Amino acid sequence: MNPRLFSATVLFLVAAFLIGPFIIIVAASLSAGETLAFPPQGFSLKWVAKVFEVESFRESFAMSMLLAVGGTAAALTLGIPASYALSRYHLPFGEAVRTVVALPIIVPGIIVGLALLRYLVVPFNFNITLALFLAHTALVLPYSVRVVSASLNNLRSDIEEAAVLLGSSRAGAFFRVVMPNIRSGILAAFILGFVTSFNQVPVSLFLSGPGVRTLPIDMLSYMEITYDPSVAALSALLAFMSIGIVFLAERFLGFSRYV
Amino acid sequence: MFHSRAEALALALPAAVFAAVIFLAPVVILLSEGLRNADSWTISAYTGFLSDPLNRTVFLRTLKLGAMVTALAAVIGYAAAFAIVNLPAKGKGRMIGLVVLPLMISPVARTYAWIVILGRTGIVNQALTSIGLTDEPVRFLFTETAVFVGLLQLFLPLMILALISALENMPKDAIPAARVLGANWFQVFSRVILPLTREGLVIGGTLVFTGSLTAYITPAILGGSKILMLETLLYQRVTVANDFVSASVIAFILIVMSFAANLLLKRLATARSKR
Amino acid sequence: MSDSAFLSLEKLTLAYGDTVAVKDLDLSIQKGELVAFLGPSGCGKTTTMRSIAGLLKPKSGRIRLEGADITHVSANKRSVGLVFQSYALFPHLTVFENVAFGLRLKGISGAELEVRVVSGLNSVGLTKFANRKPAELSGGQQQRVALARSMVMEPKVLLLDEPLSNLDARLRLEMRTELQRVQRDTGVTMIFVTHDQGEALSLADRIVVMLNGAIEQIGTPEDIYNSPASAFVADFVGFENIFPIENGRLRAGNGPIELAGPLPHDAAGLAWRPRMLTLGSGPFQGTVRGASFSGSAREYLLDTPFGTLKAEVDAALPAHCAGAALAFDLPIEKAAKLKRFN
Ligand SMILES: Nc1ncnc2c1ncn2[C@@H]1O[C@H](COP(=O)(O)OP(=O)(O)OP(=O)(O)O)[C@@H](O)[C@H]1O
Ligand SMILES: [Mg+2]
Repeated sequence: MNPRLFSATVLFLVAAFLIGPFIIIVAASLSAGETLAFPPQGFSLKWVAKVFEVESFRESFAMSMLLAVGGTAAALTLGIPASYALSRYHLPFGEAVRTVVALPIIVPGIIVGLALLRYLVVPFNFNITLALFLAHTALVLPYSVRVVSASLNNLRSDIEEAAVLLGSSRAGAFFRVVMPNIRSGILAAFILGFVTSFNQVPVSLFLSGPGVRTLPIDMLSYMEITYDPSVAALSALLAFMSIGIVFLAERFLGFSRYV
Repeated sequence: MFHSRAEALALALPAAVFAAVIFLAPVVILLSEGLRNADSWTISAYTGFLSDPLNRTVFLRTLKLGAMVTALAAVIGYAAAFAIVNLPAKGKGRMIGLVVLPLMISPVARTYAWIVILGRTGIVNQALTSIGLTDEPVRFLFTETAVFVGLLQLFLPLMILALISALENMPKDAIPAARVLGANWFQVFSRVILPLTREGLVIGGTLVFTGSLTAYITPAILGGSKILMLETLLYQRVTVANDFVSASVIAFILIVMSFAANLLLKRLATARSKR
Repeated sequence: MSDSAFLSLEKLTLAYGDTVAVKDLDLSIQKGELVAFLGPSGCGKTTTMRSIAGLLKPKSGRIRLEGADITHVSANKRSVGLVFQSYALFPHLTVFENVAFGLRLKGISGAELEVRVVSGLNSVGLTKFANRKPAELSGGQQQRVALARSMVMEPKVLLLDEPLSNLDARLRLEMRTELQRVQRDTGVTMIFVTHDQGEALSLADRIVVMLNGAIEQIGTPEDIYNSPASAFVADFVGFENIFPIENGRLRAGNGPIELAGPLPHDAAGLAWRPRMLTLGSGPFQGTVRGASFSGSAREYLLDTPFGTLKAEVDAALPAHCAGAALAFDLPIEKAAKLKRFN
């Protein structure tokens, strides 16, 4: 077989496999029919509208937003100093710190959720929302350390010394010459963390209670009741939100290099 | 470089302590629960768990699906990555974007789409009936096949991306050089491309394999209670039977498998590249 | 330590963890001096500079500036400038802002800031580039920004780590002159590091030759060039024929060398530049192994009973071919007397 034709075929099939389901979801959510179907039966926006009417979706969306934004911000607050210490100092037990901080990526989220439920929430009557928040922070922490470390390692460290020799304090040097140069790394870490947290299911499975539920969990339980196209509509909306964020960030990050 | 230990610790400890307290400690306690019986240490929970045929089936199915998804992802991944790397710059950027895109979309949404595709009135069944292959709709949902396809769709991008970066780091002349020396395409792949991209394959393979082992959403939506995998089994044991001992055993198995996959593949990569 | 010392290092020992990089270093520098640190890679030049700047705390010993002990003064309060080998410009700031960085921290702003930055840029000829980012400058221009950034701070001591090493030959000459001019105009005390003996000889008031974390010799360029203190320094500044004195006799690799006159009794060795050998007459016989012509001179490699020697004569003299037998001499009175042989 002609190699070019072969390549084109492979690319077409892979693209169809990866993106096709997304297109089908979008189409199915615009259906006028009562059940999930493709091709859609007629065209209407009624399922899209319904998404906004379901109260539990509104609440769980707010919860997921809160966790994703707050958890990622908290993870960066912990992760940026840690990355800095790991890349610029001879840290005693540096390897141990690196490992502990990276663990949440290796250990399955469902176990973390269960462990927190069983040993924090139940025995101490700990607030579930707070437990969820801590769990999401832990989950995002490895990503924030990894991405921020990468951009710190790409930045030469002598500019901090130069800043100090020009009269800056150590902390001043960090904020004046390090931060501005790892800004896009931090933003990338934020986006990665946000998307990870927002889409996360296993960690949140056990950490839900009355009025406390993340959006993906809410969608899963809604699906158990009905197969109407509103979940498809919600999925499509979420997908567009993610794409939008990534697209904007790309523009912004790409743009910032020239400013 | 700076040499103040106190400063270094002050910067790094909050994150380390946070991860240790919020994450490590509860998980360790959970794991220890499976090893305790009244006041003594025992592995009876493990032998008990594994003697139940249902549990064994789920365990083996999880391993099998993980291995199959990884293997197929590697095959498709090489073909796709190779094609993408050889595209002109603009097309390459677009294709990479297209591969990254699904990673940003909620896995719930991505998995849900398969219900539309594989359901009783889904596209596949419509196609099959319309060309007269079947009269009755074929059951796809809640089969291993559905879970397999769902997992593959979920994790294929990770493999493709890992292989793209491995292929891009390969010396440009390696393939033409091998061709000139008389290697056929199979030899080019096994003697040149594979050894030179092994690290990328290992990274991609680890991500896909551990991702599939610890998947929850896909088996939950596409497998239901018929096709349980370890995580859905864990959830069921806890919510249906309040069985925390089994949960602890499953947790242990999941963690061990994740770590083992990481270690094994890492070792494989270093051992081979030393030759 | 002399009283007039402006900057002095006293028994300075510097280490990275347990590896000692510089041991018991003593050095005093006068105000307005231009001093070169010369030595092979890894001998501790950068390390010494970093400790003068305050970026590396000494393991032991003291640093004094204008008589005051600054050993424990932190780097941002020392008024010591350092031009990094890698420039260390701030990539996110324009050339103007790079130069203004330290001044702003001093609380200078508005018209005064503008004036001082512009005059700093002017002195290195970069006024036109004020609004560029470092990445948009050539290596030489970046280096000049780094120089201006340190100079506008009016430091008491300016340290330059291999300031010319990344420049092409022409720019290197230009910057040499530039450095000398800045130093003359401002009278700033300057220490610069170099690998290149030519650079050290032509620029410095005094040269500090370092080896393995210790000072091998301190002296004016003439001292170093004409009277190297050790075999290492002799080799470093171009003496090619170097022999130790053992038991009162000059020694080649394979036996003693009997010279015409008595050996200086306080020397540990003798060294000759190729130019210093007498060719065509003398007590010794050699065979020409190879010859090369460099325009103004001819250089010969001679196989002799003392091993292979290198000799150089005026190009106007008739040439000898390989294989020719030649008489030669090692005149004692011309030899450099080495105090130490290492
Ligand atoms: N960060 C460090 N950690 C450990 N050892 C170091 C470090 N920096 C330098 N050294 C060691 O200290 C010694 C002196 O190094 P230094 O950088 O001062 O040499 P140098 O004279 O500047 O060499 P060069 O001409 O190559 O720049 C060397 O043996 C070097 O290996
Ligand atoms: Mg150096």
